[in-house]
Amino acid sequence: MSYIKEVLSSRELLVNLTMREVKGKYKRTVFGQLWSLANPLAAMLIYTFVFAFIFKAEPDRGDPSGLDIFALWLLCGLLPWTFLATTINAGMNSLIANTGLIQKVSFSRMVLPLSNVGATAYNWLFEMAVLLIALSIAGAFVLPWIPMMLVVMALLAIFAAGIALMLAIANVHFRDTANFVGILLQIWMYLTPIIYPLNLVQDLSDRAGPLLGTELTVYDVFKWNPMENFVEVFRQLLYDNRWPDVVPLVSCVLWSFVVFAIGVLVFRRHEKNLAEAL
Amino acid sequence: MTDIAVDVSHVSKKFRLYKERNMTIKSTIMRGRRSIHEDFWALNDVSFDVPAGSTFGLIGSNGSGKSTLLKCLSKIYYPDEGTITANGKLAALLEVGSGFHHELSGRENIFLNGSILGMSKKEVTRKFDEIVDFSGVEKFIDQPVKNYSSGMYVRLGFSVAIAVEPEILVVDEVLAVGDAEFQEKCRMKFVDYKNDGRTVILVSHSMDTVKQMCDQAAWLSNGSLVAVGEAEPTIAAYLGSLPSGAA
Repeated sequence: MSYIKEVLSSRELLVNLTMREVKGKYKRTVFGQLWSLANPLAAMLIYTFVFAFIFKAEPDRGDPSGLDIFALWLLCGLLPWTFLATTINAGMNSLIANTGLIQKVSFSRMVLPLSNVGATAYNWLFEMAVLLIALSIAGAFVLPWIPMMLVVMALLAIFAAGIALMLAIANVHFRDTANFVGILLQIWMYLTPIIYPLNLVQDLSDRAGPLLGTELTVYDVFKWNPMENFVEVFRQLLYDNRWPDVVPLVSCVLWSFVVFAIGVLVFRRHEKNLAEAL
Repeated sequence: MTDIAVDVSHVSKKFRLYKERNMTIKSTIMRGRRSIHEDFWALNDVSFDVPAGSTFGLIGSNGSGKSTLLKCLSKIYYPDEGTITANGKLAALLEVGSGFHHELSGRENIFLNGSILGMSKKEVTRKFDEIVDFSGVEKFIDQPVKNYSSGMYVRLGFSVAIAVEPEILVVDEVLAVGDAEFQEKCRMKFVDYKNDGRTVILVSHSMDTVKQMCDQAAWLSNGSLVAVGEAEPTIAAYLGSLPSGAA
């Protein structure tokens, strides 16, 4: 309990460090905050060109929204993914990047990775706002789904924070963690139906049949991926404009809280040792 | 003066001296082990009390464990054995300008640094003028700190740190910042601290500083406590132990 109190008391520090990341990032650039849109836009153009025009991927039409625009469908999944990947990378390096601070000042260390989550979330909010505008122009009626979207965004942030906390510690003890994570993130991204629709996996799964004599199919395995659940929920809210299915939604909630709890426990166990380990 | 501000009781701190240390997953797997190390006790069963309202000096040669003890006091390291109990809010000043962001202005950095050191936004706002005034960088307060001269930088850092006004202040050799005028200002500030009944614990290599400022001192050698008590005799004993006999 006292630990929770300690973290809560550093709320202000968390806000200040988050703003340090946010303000410091685009300071002295001509386009400022607009830069945060550059990467998702470039990714959108590349993936749309390769997957929609060359591979002819055809996601299901938005139901009931009736949308049929690959680029928007893509972004509904790609922006949450980019947020997760950026948070994990920044959070993982946050302790090493602040070595000087950790060795000279005593404060709740947890605010360092968490402030990176906050700073990335700030940019993500901005990106999502732009996406909402684009969706509205395309004819989707997103307005009633915004509150629910914010809830799911918060869940994903909690999930990302949990992973970042664990990896931040791992990265202090094994400095090549970051290299491994870079590769794993890439694999994870392609195993998540972000740039290709899930119905292609369904086709593959039907052809392959049950795996190794069990009931499980490739499709079932894909559904176990927490990011698949998140992407599905985001698409149902934003692209389809409907209430998300219960199973992926509950799964998102469970994944977030379990991963976050483990992250906090791991971080807490190693926190006191940080000044020496760095 | 009967109250005890900090109670250091049987504190020991162990470090590892590495002969081999595998800091990557790859090398850990290839070598089949994490590290080969032996233990080194940087602090060995150190016990003393710091009386409330006193200025307490830690003296000793390089590598005697002063800084380790200071870091244990400031909760950056945690002792392997023994306990440290502080009665009151304790703040440490081991480095000035910790966490300054070079692209941010002096103003923004005051708030950032203040909250790192444990001050609330309200507190910083209230003390803002005082901090700026003490640092003497009013004219440049809205400039990014990367354009500051090194003197301005440390003066600003020091002014924020000194504004924390804890009941117990732990200081590491940072008094030597700024020009003579600023150092005089710092010295006055410590006198104020003392008059307010606050406790100051400081590490210094300058025996003149210790003699001038401290009323109590502890002498550490190779991680063990040699003597503790009134500043004058402790300093004399320490100086007497040095081979040259001079400081």
